[in-house]
Amino acid sequence: MSDPVPLTTDHPGQVASATPPAPGRSRRLSDRGLAVAFISPALLLLLAMSVFPLLWALYLSFTDYSATRGGPAHFVWFENYTAILTSAQVHLRALTTLIYVVGAVALQTVLGFAIAYLISRRTHGRGLLTTLFLVPMMLSQVVVGLFWKFMLDAQFGVINSMLGSLGLGQVEWLTRQRTALISLIVVDTWQWTPFIMLIALAGLTAVPKYLYEAASIDRASEWFRFRTITLPLVWPLLLIAVLFRAIEAFRLFDLVYILTSGGPGVSTETLSFHVYKVAFLGFNTGTASAYGILMVLVVIVLTQLYLRYLNKLKED
Amino acid sequence: MGVSVDEAVSTGPVRDHTPPARRFGGRGRSVLEIALLTVLAVVMLFPVLWMIETSIKENRDVYAIPAKFFDFTVTLDHFKDVFVASGGRSALSVSFLNSVVVAGVSTVLATVLGVPAAWAYSRFAVKAKKDQLFFILSTRFMPPVVVVIPIFLMYRQFGLIDTKLGLILIYTAFNVPFTIWMMKGFVDEVPAEYEDAAMLDGYTRLQAFWRFTLPLLLPGIAATAVFALIFSWNEFVFAIFLTSSDDVRTAPPAIAGLIGGTTVDWGLVAAASVVFALPVLVFAYLVRKHLVAGVTLGAVRR
Amino acid sequence: MAAMLVATTMAACGQDDGATSAPKASATIPELTKDPLTLSFIWFDWPPAHALEAFANAEYTKVRSNVTIKVNTVPNANWHDAMFTQFAAHKTDFDIPILDSQHIGEAVTNGNILDITDFVKKNIDVKAYNPYLLAAYGQYPQAETGKRDENASLYGLPLLGDTWTMIYRKDLIGDKPPQTWDEMISVAEKCQADNPGVSGLAFHQANGSDAAAVTYNTVNAVYGGNLWDSKTRKIDGVINDAAGQEAMDVLVNKMKPLTAAGSGNWFIDEVNAAVAQGKACIAFNWIAASGGLLDPKQSTLGTTREEILDKLGFATLPSQKTNLVPLGGMGMHVSAYSPAANQAEALNFMKWFEQADIQKKWAAAGGVPSRTDALESPEFLNAGPFNQVYADSVSRMRDMWNVPEYARLVDIENTNVNAALNGAKTPKDALNDIAKEQQGVLDSGSRKGGGGL
Repeated sequence: MSDPVPLTTDHPGQVASATPPAPGRSRRLSDRGLAVAFISPALLLLLAMSVFPLLWALYLSFTDYSATRGGPAHFVWFENYTAILTSAQVHLRALTTLIYVVGAVALQTVLGFAIAYLISRRTHGRGLLTTLFLVPMMLSQVVVGLFWKFMLDAQFGVINSMLGSLGLGQVEWLTRQRTALISLIVVDTWQWTPFIMLIALAGLTAVPKYLYEAASIDRASEWFRFRTITLPLVWPLLLIAVLFRAIEAFRLFDLVYILTSGGPGVSTETLSFHVYKVAFLGFNTGTASAYGILMVLVVIVLTQLYLRYLNKLKED
Repeated sequence: MGVSVDEAVSTGPVRDHTPPARRFGGRGRSVLEIALLTVLAVVMLFPVLWMIETSIKENRDVYAIPAKFFDFTVTLDHFKDVFVASGGRSALSVSFLNSVVVAGVSTVLATVLGVPAAWAYSRFAVKAKKDQLFFILSTRFMPPVVVVIPIFLMYRQFGLIDTKLGLILIYTAFNVPFTIWMMKGFVDEVPAEYEDAAMLDGYTRLQAFWRFTLPLLLPGIAATAVFALIFSWNEFVFAIFLTSSDDVRTAPPAIAGLIGGTTVDWGLVAAASVVFALPVLVFAYLVRKHLVAGVTLGAVRR
Repeated sequence: MAAMLVATTMAACGQDDGATSAPKASATIPELTKDPLTLSFIWFDWPPAHALEAFANAEYTKVRSNVTIKVNTVPNANWHDAMFTQFAAHKTDFDIPILDSQHIGEAVTNGNILDITDFVKKNIDVKAYNPYLLAAYGQYPQAETGKRDENASLYGLPLLGDTWTMIYRKDLIGDKPPQTWDEMISVAEKCQADNPGVSGLAFHQANGSDAAAVTYNTVNAVYGGNLWDSKTRKIDGVINDAAGQEAMDVLVNKMKPLTAAGSGNWFIDEVNAAVAQGKACIAFNWIAASGGLLDPKQSTLGTTREEILDKLGFATLPSQKTNLVPLGGMGMHVSAYSPAANQAEALNFMKWFEQADIQKKWAAAGGVPSRTDALESPEFLNAGPFNQVYADSVSRMRDMWNVPEYARLVDIENTNVNAALNGAKTPKDALNDIAKEQQGVLDSGSRKGGGGL
């Protein structure tokens, strides 16, 4: 990295200034005070808005509390958890989410990397190309969802209209079990391929030229060079991008809400969407909290993986 | 590794590592690659173009089968409808204004809270700094649908449901981790020696930060703020569950509410989407040099 | 910040005192304020909501000049959530929630709306109404079809009546609407075969709101089925009895094949669009949502209202084994969390609104009144071609359950009927799943862990 982040340079327990030369004692204390004064407001906000709500949710997850029905919360201990983990309804949503996450992330990784590779081989117009490709990523999921709903409409959507002029039949994009999930994956891929592309491109442009030159002298085949030089250098960065996308895809809610609202039936209901129904249709707050905590656990595992690779990358 | 996004997105020849011409048809292959890129670009951009086109079509052309690509009458009525309703300002334009307030204030708050924290994390050795930083980042990864349940319960104690302040607070909380991570990278780039030198001249640490480091950080602060702004501007889940009245509702739920009535006006949806997306695209263009850091919550730096 | 944490924790521990019955409104309207006051409603975004705001601001201010009426609107899909999250917050930005008739149970058992039984006795001429309409929009526990329980409490008053109308293309199937459900299906079949590009039928199939559920319930009623046995709280074995199975079979195997490809997520707006674009022979939609069909700007059927009416006919639903039709529409209620001055104003508004001449004016402004005299008035019957349909349907109405578990019951029904309509489940499985899952919801009254999955 051009600017190594000194995450790994501080020693645990050391409370003195890291900037040499060490100033006088009073200044050191004031430095410490300054650090506390500067960091604590942000940390307090996070404690109040992120940690405390999660702890509250954790408490509620052991109860049968309902946000609307009132009445005291009774402890049911792990009953919510066992009910969720053994529920066929939840398993169904977990499977849907898994297919969605794997399908969408795999597709956008392949596509994103391919586009990045193609762009990196161009010498002219790279900036313009990159900028154009990035547009979908910047749009709100609401806008993306609404607009694809319009384009995928079986009757007057432009996609079916184009298929029609090619002599192909109409496809019920959003109302058949299989096509609805595919549509979700396609829309997500459309929006987030640029993300993978951007990061892959950052990796690709960073491969030092001399490595290629050396390989070129060796008359190495292009595939060989790609496999031995390009991929190993880009891979760590790409992995981060993939993990990042996996976390985001796992949380998916907006697109389902707008594009299919979980239909047909419940076949595109993701875990997030199901939590919403438990929490705001039935107001089974206790169950929804347990459900949410379980989702958070999955996110924490994914985040830990993400952070581990991130750290590795930084140490590199 | 030296990953430079400046180079990735800046125009012109940057670094020629295109391999020398292949034994057979290096030129033919180049043409193929350009063709492939063009096709991909068209596919990626088509929905955006179609959205813009729909926003300037008359309604009967919007529903035309087969779809009309070129021969339609251009109208700006839909854009007028975005801002003006029969009785004056449209509900949609009010929601745009709400979005400006909510996104603007939460961005300022996140910047005010995040920048000093980032500076402190960069300059001082804080206890368990690594753990703190990772904890900060991980709060940003929580699924909004899950967070909204306890936030809802908490807000109802304080009367923050259906208020702009409630949205501002939660958006700030989601933007602070990002601001800290993003800004820490920028602070790391400013040599600490500047402050040391200033302190030798008799300035306090705080003054040194304020008078010497902060001015150097301004471009980074601007970029960071823009990303925070984009997040708050586009956010939907908290907005739909924590607000309900017209004078609080932000643009994303308002635009989503355009369908699901008794008639669908896709022209209006498209026009509203264009108006809504335009500022984001302009801002994103302004910070294009920091995109990689921006979209990975500041975790991956160039 | 720390203070906030502590306060929240304290509040979290101390908030629940267990009392959950609806507070009572006073029998007489308390003294009204002379200060400027905004009386707020909440409804979903559709033309009647805008009509109500315009109407009330024009008329109510004649008697109460210091009052402004504001009708907050939310997307239909978000309507229930928007009201009940605010109820849950014990703070509402509305004084008069306009609940769907089935939401009453949930709101009453949670204590979210006022008990206005005494107020109605003292201020409202109940004899002026068809008793079932009064019951449907206000009574809890729910009334059996067509009857009102004089001893049950009232929690609301009618605001807007509604039911389904059959919309048919006079130019394609003739002036005379089909009289039985079977006839309707065969007419639609023939019309679809004779007119390429036009589908036989268009109706609600979406899995959101109550779209697909109302469709099934309607067919279920017409074919002699029942949704449940309210006395024994039994759903399993009732909704999926022989009549229920037949209804599901008719819906999925006879009606669905006559709809347009990809119509499996259609609700009010899409059905209207199909009619306006001339793509359906026969369509079913809520009357209160049909006004836009006569707007030449949105229609390809004609350039004037008269031209459109030459092609579009509106009729009451065909009957089969019964002549039941779905009850739609909504009542006005008073939020238990509004300030006292606003609650008083809300009661005054309701009393004002239910007067004979105001009901007629409301009818002329595009509303559907509930007073019998207003329903029979020329002001109402001449205001729209579908209003006669409503008047003729009043005695034929049936509602769904308005029990506290409604939101979950309807979601189960919606998603399963939608699945059956789109081939994700067989009709039989879908119906049996509805019965089993809904029964599960009703039976889980004694709350334990894992409720609501």
